[in-house]
Amino acid sequence: MTTILINGEAREVDVPPDMPLLWVLRDVVGLTGTKFGCGIAQCGACTVHVDGKPARSCVLPVSAVGNRAVTTVEAVGETEIGRRVQEAWLGVEVVQCGYCQSGQIMSAAALLGRNPAPDDAAIDAAMSGNICRCATYPRIRAAIKRAAGLPAETV
Amino acid sequence: MKGSRLRRFGLIALVVAGLLLVAAIAFFAWPAKLEAVAPSPAQPTGRALVEKGRYLATAADCVACHSTPNGEPYAGGLAFKLPFGTIYSSNITPDRKNGIGAWSDAEFVRAVRHGVRSDGQQLYPAFPYTAYTHMSTDDVLAIRAYLNTLRPVNQAVAVNQLSFPFNQRYLMRAWKLLFMPRQPLQPDPNQSAEWNRGAYLVEGAGHCAECHTPRNLLFGLKSGQKFAGATTQGWKAYNLTSDPETGIGDWSVDEITRYLATGHTPGRGAAAGSMGEAVSLSLSRLTPQDLRAMAVYLKTIPPKPGTPGSKVNPNPPLMAASTPFAPARAEVGSDAVGLRIFEGACASCHGWDGSGTHSPYGELRGAQTVNDPEATNLVQVILHGSEIRTPQGGASMPSFGRAYNDAEIAAVANYVLRHFGGKAATVTPERVAKARREGE
Repeated sequence: MTTILINGEAREVDVPPDMPLLWVLRDVVGLTGTKFGCGIAQCGACTVHVDGKPARSCVLPVSAVGNRAVTTVEAVGETEIGRRVQEAWLGVEVVQCGYCQSGQIMSAAALLGRNPAPDDAAIDAAMSGNICRCATYPRIRAAIKRAAGLPAETV
Repeated sequence: MKGSRLRRFGLIALVVAGLLLVAAIAFFAWPAKLEAVAPSPAQPTGRALVEKGRYLATAADCVACHSTPNGEPYAGGLAFKLPFGTIYSSNITPDRKNGIGAWSDAEFVRAVRHGVRSDGQQLYPAFPYTAYTHMSTDDVLAIRAYLNTLRPVNQAVAVNQLSFPFNQRYLMRAWKLLFMPRQPLQPDPNQSAEWNRGAYLVEGAGHCAECHTPRNLLFGLKSGQKFAGATTQGWKAYNLTSDPETGIGDWSVDEITRYLATGHTPGRGAAAGSMGEAVSLSLSRLTPQDLRAMAVYLKTIPPKPGTPGSKVNPNPPLMAASTPFAPARAEVGSDAVGLRIFEGACASCHGWDGSGTHSPYGELRGAQTVNDPEATNLVQVILHGSEIRTPQGGASMPSFGRAYNDAEIAAVANYVLRHFGGKAATVTPERVAKARREGE
């Protein structure tokens, strides 16, 4: 048995130690808000927070999480930054198909957690690992700025 | 008078030539001798013997070469591409027809230690008998006992495709005269038991020198540059000597031991390519005592210079000014192709500061691979990815060879060299194209 702290709750799971965290979240714990995209840490759809930092859960073995706190898109809205990001996401109407959205929101919230007023270059550097097939990148950037309370952009 | 002297000279020349011919025929065609072998009284029996053999077969990493990636273990068939043709590894399961089930113990010991097949034909030194010759009879017999417990695989391996004269096996006798050690390694009474155990494992079963020593035109190891590092099939095996600039002179015994056990040491980077395979299949499965002994021995190898300019810079300026999630101020907003690719494809796992945000195996800072101005392994690992699986954990990196073209891979390699190693960029698209062919 492995114990992992997910969204503030200690969960006991009976899984092999090399199972990726994403499998545990979706298939064992039943938190399906985090998506499977590429499976090789190249698209960002599976991004969660581990101790507040963005991590690609599809390549992170559950044994590597240890006693660090995992936050998924289901609970990120309980933090002040996460709430602002989600509100901005709705306000800007970022989403088109929505598949990459949970990963984008997690990366954006982590960015604002360490840089409260990111400029375009900082947003690009932090968000480049999150791919959007619908190419909503300008709206993602605008939503991040809105969440940061920076001057609005028209998109 | 003159004519008879000439005739006498001719006669002598003819006799000498005839003698040389006979000597040559005798040298190349004399049947190989087969010595009887017997275990010493100290050799265990039954399950203990099989277990000993399993451990030694792991230390010798037999399975790495005697299997194909998706094939049956020990059933052979792995291709060794050489400039003069391709050699395939043999089936060493106990199958009587295609494996070595019909071989006697004496024939097996002769093959491992002297490179002679059961039918008396010479084996090619792709099979590292120049190293295995240092193994004791007991140890080789134990490996045989273990191999005997495997499931026989009735599978013939492909026939070697070598050009003339390399397809003439008897010529290996001349090669052995030049490159085969004269006698097995003798224990050094002036060194500790630990050092001697390490020497036995490094020089014998571990066959480290086979990859870490450059080869001459005849494919023999250059004894003057032993362990100074070499490139095989597109991957570089780094300098293992105590050279403080390009070798492991500034590594501690603990650091070396940890690297062998897990394929990673903090601040030293991770093993990839053939070394990743050696760690996964062999080294990570050896006892901590044996790994430490190997490290103790490795530390005493006299320094020899390796790749010029490859001294590891543990904290170059751009990396030092980065955080895990953001590049240095000076780099932000750059449109350079290499930085753009790193941003999208690499940064999420490796981190801009090279700390390896997901796994210790993703750590880049301090790694030889990002400090080698030739970028040999850097390009290979980007092209082909990397996988390491040990009982202590592991990691894998996807391959990017089909995601990016040669110019893009050259650009990201040059960016990584500059950012994480402080090294001037040297990789060209042509070099990447060559590396694609070699690493295949």
